[in-house]
Amino acid sequence: MESILSFGVALLVAPLFPGIILKVKAFFAGKKGPPLLIKYYTLVKLLRKGFVYSTSTSLVFRMGPIVVCATALMALLFFPFGGVAPLLFFQGDVIVLFYVMGLGRFFMVIAALDTASPFEGMGAAREAFFGTLAEASIFTMLILFYRMNGSLSLAGYFTGPEAISQTAPAGALLLLVIVALFMVLLAENSRVPVDDPATHLELTMIHEVMILDHSGPDLALIEYGSFCKLLFYASFVAMLIYPFHQFGPVLAMALFYGAVALVYVAIGITESIMARLKMNLVPKYILTSFTLAFFAVILSMGISQ
Amino acid sequence: MNYFFAALGLVLTGGVAALIFHRQFLFAKGFSLLLTVAGCALGLASLALPSDGPAADWSLTWLQIFPLSCSVDSLSAFFLVPIFLICPLAAVYNIGYQDDAGASLKTMVGVFFLNLLLVAMALVVVAGNLLTLLLAWEVMSLSSFFLVLYDFKKETTRKAAYLYLVFSQAGVLLISAAFAIIFGSTGSFLFAGAATLPADIKLLVFFLACAGFGSKAGVFPLHIWLPHAHPAAPSHISAVLSGVMIKMGIYGIVRTYLLLGSQDPLIGQAVLVLGMASGVLGVLYALGKHDIKRLLAYHSVENIGIIMIGLGLGMLGATLGNPVMAGFGFAGGLLHVFNHSIFKSLLFMGAGAVVKATGLLHVDDLGGLIKQMPVTGRSFIAGSVSISGLPPGNGFISEFLIYFAAFHGLSETGANLILVMLAIISLAVIGGLAAACFTKVVGIVFLGEPRHEELRSVGEAGSWMSLPMLLLASFCLVIGVFPEPFINAVFRTVAQMVPALTVDHVLVATVGTNLAWASRLLLLMVLLIMAVRKAFSLRKEVARGPTWGCGFTRPTVRMQYSGTSYALSIVSFYRPFARIRTIWSGIDTIFPKQAAYASRVDDIAEIALHRFLVSPVAFVLGKLRWIQHGHIQLYIGYIIGTIAVLLLIFFL
Amino acid sequence: MINMTNTILVIILLSVLLSLASNRLSALVRIMALQGVMVSLTPLFLEHHSNLGSGGLIFFQIMILIKGLLIPGLLFMAVRKVSITREIEPLIGYHASLFFGLVCILLSGYITSRLQVSLPAGHELLLITAITTLAAGLFLMMGRTKAITQVIGYLMLENGIYLIGTALTKQSHTLYVVEFGVLLDLLVGVMIMGIILHNINHAFDDVDTTLMRRLKD
Repeated sequence: MESILSFGVALLVAPLFPGIILKVKAFFAGKKGPPLLIKYYTLVKLLRKGFVYSTSTSLVFRMGPIVVCATALMALLFFPFGGVAPLLFFQGDVIVLFYVMGLGRFFMVIAALDTASPFEGMGAAREAFFGTLAEASIFTMLILFYRMNGSLSLAGYFTGPEAISQTAPAGALLLLVIVALFMVLLAENSRVPVDDPATHLELTMIHEVMILDHSGPDLALIEYGSFCKLLFYASFVAMLIYPFHQFGPVLAMALFYGAVALVYVAIGITESIMARLKMNLVPKYILTSFTLAFFAVILSMGISQ
Repeated sequence: MNYFFAALGLVLTGGVAALIFHRQFLFAKGFSLLLTVAGCALGLASLALPSDGPAADWSLTWLQIFPLSCSVDSLSAFFLVPIFLICPLAAVYNIGYQDDAGASLKTMVGVFFLNLLLVAMALVVVAGNLLTLLLAWEVMSLSSFFLVLYDFKKETTRKAAYLYLVFSQAGVLLISAAFAIIFGSTGSFLFAGAATLPADIKLLVFFLACAGFGSKAGVFPLHIWLPHAHPAAPSHISAVLSGVMIKMGIYGIVRTYLLLGSQDPLIGQAVLVLGMASGVLGVLYALGKHDIKRLLAYHSVENIGIIMIGLGLGMLGATLGNPVMAGFGFAGGLLHVFNHSIFKSLLFMGAGAVVKATGLLHVDDLGGLIKQMPVTGRSFIAGSVSISGLPPGNGFISEFLIYFAAFHGLSETGANLILVMLAIISLAVIGGLAAACFTKVVGIVFLGEPRHEELRSVGEAGSWMSLPMLLLASFCLVIGVFPEPFINAVFRTVAQMVPALTVDHVLVATVGTNLAWASRLLLLMVLLIMAVRKAFSLRKEVARGPTWGCGFTRPTVRMQYSGTSYALSIVSFYRPFARIRTIWSGIDTIFPKQAAYASRVDDIAEIALHRFLVSPVAFVLGKLRWIQHGHIQLYIGYIIGTIAVLLLIFFL
Repeated sequence: MINMTNTILVIILLSVLLSLASNRLSALVRIMALQGVMVSLTPLFLEHHSNLGSGGLIFFQIMILIKGLLIPGLLFMAVRKVSITREIEPLIGYHASLFFGLVCILLSGYITSRLQVSLPAGHELLLITAITTLAAGLFLMMGRTKAITQVIGYLMLENGIYLIGTALTKQSHTLYVVEFGVLLDLLVGVMIMGIILHNINHAFDDVDTTLMRRLKD
């Protein structure tokens, strides 16, 4: 019951948090900013609209948003928000989840290529490239998690007495992983400094340019999918910072969403004080995250010996 | 074994009948297809029979001195399944693919050699002693050589076939050397003798055999023939070569490993390292290639790499006494052998359909084909999802098993731990790059707008060609969504193959069930979202218009992102391993007229082979030219001289 | 309880890695300031160093002041005064540098596991960090063109040496007298470098060391 509730809450609040980022950015710019619920309004507006399809597109283009949204929702099904056991879990589910999200990326990319637009092709190529690097970084982190706690599932990482935390032996290494994961979060969810969601020039975009031709409910599905994906990564970071499982479920949830909000504030601050990297520096950026994770893994060997 | 040999007899008769009746084109095609399919069905059925299935054997002494024997154990049975499954589908495909009655004899020669190849491959896996294995191996190599040579009128084909012949003969030489060591120290052709060798000799035998079999399998750096031979051969042949024949190399490596029974961790480590190198570099070069069939050939190198990673983890786990790692490693590797045979032949058939319809092979010439060829396009996408290792395709199931093995290997220490870690990271890199590569192929070839006007008028492949593709595509999904029986079967094979290994049955069953449910849940989610989208699209207007050109009002199809530009940034990231050569005419005036740009990615193995082996050897041999005079008497003199010297050495 | 020593060491490693990857001079100087503070804090959290006299306290405060404030401040001034371009201009590319960092940490892990006999218990991570820092400092001196990055590399080298001293000994702060001397030398070095850079900048147009080859004859 708790699990269903926590999943439902996550689905409900996913569009809330990006509003926080906008607020933080507005604060830094000295503006009032859009209302906190802006993303809900956007979703409702998009769902009411009709469709426009390019004559170049085929069935693949329509499948894209569906698969993207479905894969993002699937990731949330397995996540133990605030240490509350998730709806589903099994040994090895993280591998499945990251591959399922890979399927989402696959369809996102081919849907973009389906439009025959040179700009969308460019965005697709970047997405595919940076995705491969981010995946390597994530799997390196999974190696560390397995060595710390012998588990291969999100529920195993974050629930129960064996949960990963900074107080465990070799827990200090989590610091490296948190930084690395935050960097991957920014890259995978197309935030500054990898991609600028607020830019106006198609040549410099990654994610936004791929969805240029989607419209109406299709666009709503993609947007909702990306909110869910961002929530997934932000929750991951929050749970690594502090495991909340020792509190009661209600308090844990409250504290957990507070921590998630802090992660979003951190994203907002990053976006406000940093500029987007030059495209040829992005691989270096993601590689840094991979190296951090690899450092942590090697150090875990040194410490445990 | 009677049914089994009857099945092979039927297949061989089908091949001979095709040659005999080649003047009646349709009859010959139909009759030989019937015999081939019947033979393969009988062969598959015979695996299930207790009298013919595992543990059956047969032997004969040929010319009084050469003992030949065949026996089927669980490993052979496992490798027989793709042989009997893919080859008949390729034969069916061929009916539609080569429908030119004018080239009847050529087609029928192709059919004959294909059937011969099938028989030879079946004999390779059931061979019960060293001699039988070598003989069958040689028949297999030669028949496949003639298949590669099919389009013998083209210069490139002849070169590719020659290259293949060199590699396969060099491979046979190495295998013979390995077997000769076994024969020399035991005095018999029996497989069983290998287990009694001293430990360091075992290592030598394994590495010789591994190089020999590896050159057939396409293990880096012995893969060079693959990307040349596959584009040269007709597509159904490529499907069989890449889907089935190169797996014989894997069979050879596994068989040698099992026969030697060596406990040296070096074997597992070497196989693992070779696997990682083949996997990562294979997919990297695949990204850099833009000829569809050459690209698919490099993907074979990549998948052989994944298989070797699995097997290497298995071998390492068996040596270190880690049953979960060993069991899942072997199982993942073997299951990937089966899975790869399905999706790789599917992809080659899809490429063949594209080539037949358009006559073009370079991805940057194609585009938008899914509208004209919906069946080919969709089954190609299914194959692409599977080969990228994404759920719900079958490739994911085997890759998951390998990941599972690798993560359980993280409890080891020292160099083994680092290797296992690198294995996980390279699997992740391979997965990402493979997905990038297949988004490129699917997106550039099948989606978007056609890059030539003629492409708008091509038609769908005929039903003889689409039927096998549809069947294979549905196999991909069925294995992905109902993986339990396949996982259980492959674990049964592993259990019989390495009896010392005890893998927890409950664990295997749980992993199978979990994977099955995860795939089904994914499909359910997709259906759910589809329903939601349907609900929101009721009574909505659907407008159609051109793609948004970002303010540019006169886009042309030539402005689409090309495969070259799609892949170049990724390949250049790995530049030390892939040499990129670009030809760029440059722009020198203010109003440039015409500019040209071309880039190609070179394989470092090819460069190194040319620089460090071929050139020095050619140089040394060039110095020996003076021996060659062209007088027959002189050559007879050489022969006499050689015999005399050998006799002297022998008697002194 | 979070292990403070390990946390500090991990932050030092983080700074080493970021310094290999950073492409802006001012960012590099900031990272060095963080590293300096962390390095001088390290001995305070080691158990057998904990009973400090007032002399020790003053000593560590001066340490932090020099490493965390004075030297980075001087470097900042040098960057500002000499109006050096902001890009770092690597001789060895960023990807290769990061890869070097990986290899380096693998090697130092290996070396540490070999040296285990002579190490006080619980100092493995300390020694790994020390060797990595040292090697990365050398690498920065080797792989970057500008004079100022060479000074930064030297600073990192010194941090590494200081950490090695901390790792290998059980004594209290009196041992650091030698390192303190080195630190003062370094401080003087940084100042002189600032002055020289300033003068070179007046005499020539560029402070790129690759251009200094012209001075040789």
